[in-house]
Amino acid sequence: MTKAMVIAEHVDAARELCAGARSLADEVVLVAFCAAPDNCADRVAAVEVPSGCALDDAYATLIPFLEEEGPEVVLVEPTKRMKSVAGRLAAYMGTAVITDVAALEDGVARGMYYGGVGQRDQRPTTSCAMYTIQPGVFAECVPSGENQVVVLDWVAPAAALKVLSTTPIEKKGVDLTKADVVVAVGRGFGSAEELQVAEDLAASLGGGVGCTRPLAEGADLMPAETYIGVSGLVVAPKVYVAAGLSGQMQHMVGCAKSGLVVAVNKDKNAPVFKQCDYGLIGDVATVLPALTAALS
Amino acid sequence: MKILVAFKILPDDQDIRVAADGSLDFSKAKPIVSSYDANAMEEAAQLAKACGAEVVGITVGSSAIDDSKVKKNALSRGLDRLVMVADDTCDNLDSHATAAVLTQIAEKEAGWDLILCGDGSADNYAQQVDVQLAAALGAPSVNGVTSIKLQDGCIVCERALESSIETVEVSLPAVVSVTPSIAEARVPGMKDILAAGKKPVEALVLETDLSASVEVVSVKAPDQASRACEVLEAGEDRAIEKVAAAIRAAL
Ligand SMILES: Cc1cc2nc3c(=O)[nH]c(=O)nc-3n(C[C@H](O)[C@H](O)[C@H](O)COP(=O)(O)OP(=O)(O)OC[C@H]3O[C@@H](n4cnc5c(N)ncnc54)[C@H](O)[C@@H]3O)c2cc1C
Ligand SMILES: Nc1ncnc2c1ncn2[C@@H]1O[C@H](COP(=O)(O)O)[C@@H](O)[C@H]1O
Repeated sequence: MTKAMVIAEHVDAARELCAGARSLADEVVLVAFCAAPDNCADRVAAVEVPSGCALDDAYATLIPFLEEEGPEVVLVEPTKRMKSVAGRLAAYMGTAVITDVAALEDGVARGMYYGGVGQRDQRPTTSCAMYTIQPGVFAECVPSGENQVVVLDWVAPAAALKVLSTTPIEKKGVDLTKADVVVAVGRGFGSAEELQVAEDLAASLGGGVGCTRPLAEGADLMPAETYIGVSGLVVAPKVYVAAGLSGQMQHMVGCAKSGLVVAVNKDKNAPVFKQCDYGLIGDVATVLPALTAALS
Repeated sequence: MKILVAFKILPDDQDIRVAADGSLDFSKAKPIVSSYDANAMEEAAQLAKACGAEVVGITVGSSAIDDSKVKKNALSRGLDRLVMVADDTCDNLDSHATAAVLTQIAEKEAGWDLILCGDGSADNYAQQVDVQLAAALGAPSVNGVTSIKLQDGCIVCERALESSIETVEVSLPAVVSVTPSIAEARVPGMKDILAAGKKPVEALVLETDLSASVEVVSVKAPDQASRACEVLEAGEDRAIEKVAAAIRAAL
């Protein structure tokens, strides 16, 4: 009899990970920091985070539960706070979490190494295997279970975090994960004004503008939630225009499944030209408007 | 006040080559400071300047990290000194084992108030060593931090979560992992590098029992989607029209 535990904070992830857990184990226990999906686990512990407390600190509540349940496998949603909880539980169990798993077969987890330069298969050697799992890994599996409710009372850790305020991030503009066209901008753009040519091209095709990580963190020209890559969004539009970006693996793994990839770069040796269908050597300031004009 | 900054030294990914059999060739890749840990160092240096703290860099790795060039590079980023464990049994440790060795260093550096970590190591990008370290030290931790304000006995951090910005108060001592947007990594100048050569470096003997929790089954270059790679000079006759037609056809 094997047991799997799922820990998630979003209902979609909870459902998919429970489905995956069902394919791996006889018994499934869900710890949900959200409404539990219907019929997805044998037991469901819905944990209420008291106001002013941080979700990260749920580890103190979960350690005794984990010990009592003793699962062989723990599947965790890969968000910042869940990664923090998972790390605490792993530390307690004397193991390490295998993170951002893209495929899991016979306990062997496939993930990226050096942001996609390599592909690495790893296997836990401890009695409790813990993974954070990317969305889609268990898309084909079906969850089941009676959702018997378990009540866990909040236990605050010794030096608890105090949440002073929470402000939702307003997501403006196009949902890049659903757009047919994404124009991605990189450090070839030096100012907000220069971005206009990318906005125009995207708008003319009914698409959205994304970016590389340094443009969102550092240059601060784009919102943080629009960067694409290993640590950001994964997109697969019909057309991906990579403009003024070099084509580092950490970025390209976020758009590898796109249909047509068009690269625009003024350096003919830019690595992005080895990963595109069409490349245009030239300055984004002139090439993008020319493309927009040719498409209208 | 004493700030420790945990940073990883690893082979420069710009110089990793894919061998004919698909394996990764690290022979040309020199040891460097993991890129996002340089942002944590800069933040540590700025916090220290604001409150007169000492900044100590701490790192764990194989004997290859005991390299004079990379040590100087690290020390030229605003650190006062460096404490390291460089032992071949510490090559490619998992997050639990890495945290165990860092704990040995942190315990030797007793009296620290804050340990800063980067957003994730360039090789593993697990975002786990920070929280494992906090757990081993019995300290609170917070990740995804974009700004830190020092207050009396605590810090107030802003953190970027997936769909919200959270402001949290964290009592000290604490472990904090920061995103690269917190502070731009400096480009060390000649003066920084010369001064770095005079700063103390201490190498500790490994005293931690290490047991791996994870076994690496294989590492290889991923299969790449094959793309046409038709690269044209944008000014070339009809180049733009050709690409525009391809875009239209794909939609
Ligand atoms: C752990 C880790 C995680 C990371 N995660 C991500 C991630 O998720 N997403 C991500 O994007 N990056 C990520 N990175 C960063 C990544 O390694 C690269 O540093 C980054 O993608 C480079 O961005 P860039 O192409 O915009 O800049 P650069 O590499 O500086 O490239 C700029 C390009 O613009 C070209 N250019 C300049 N001016 C013009 C012009 N006028 N017209 C045309 N072309 C011009 C240049 O020739 C150059 O090729 C990560 C790094 C690490 C260490
Ligand atoms: N070997 C190491 N030595 C010192 N610090 C490390 C080491 N590995 C990871 N860290 C720190 O922990 C953070 C998270 O690493 P990781 O869990 O590997 O993504 C890094 O950004 C570093 O600040």
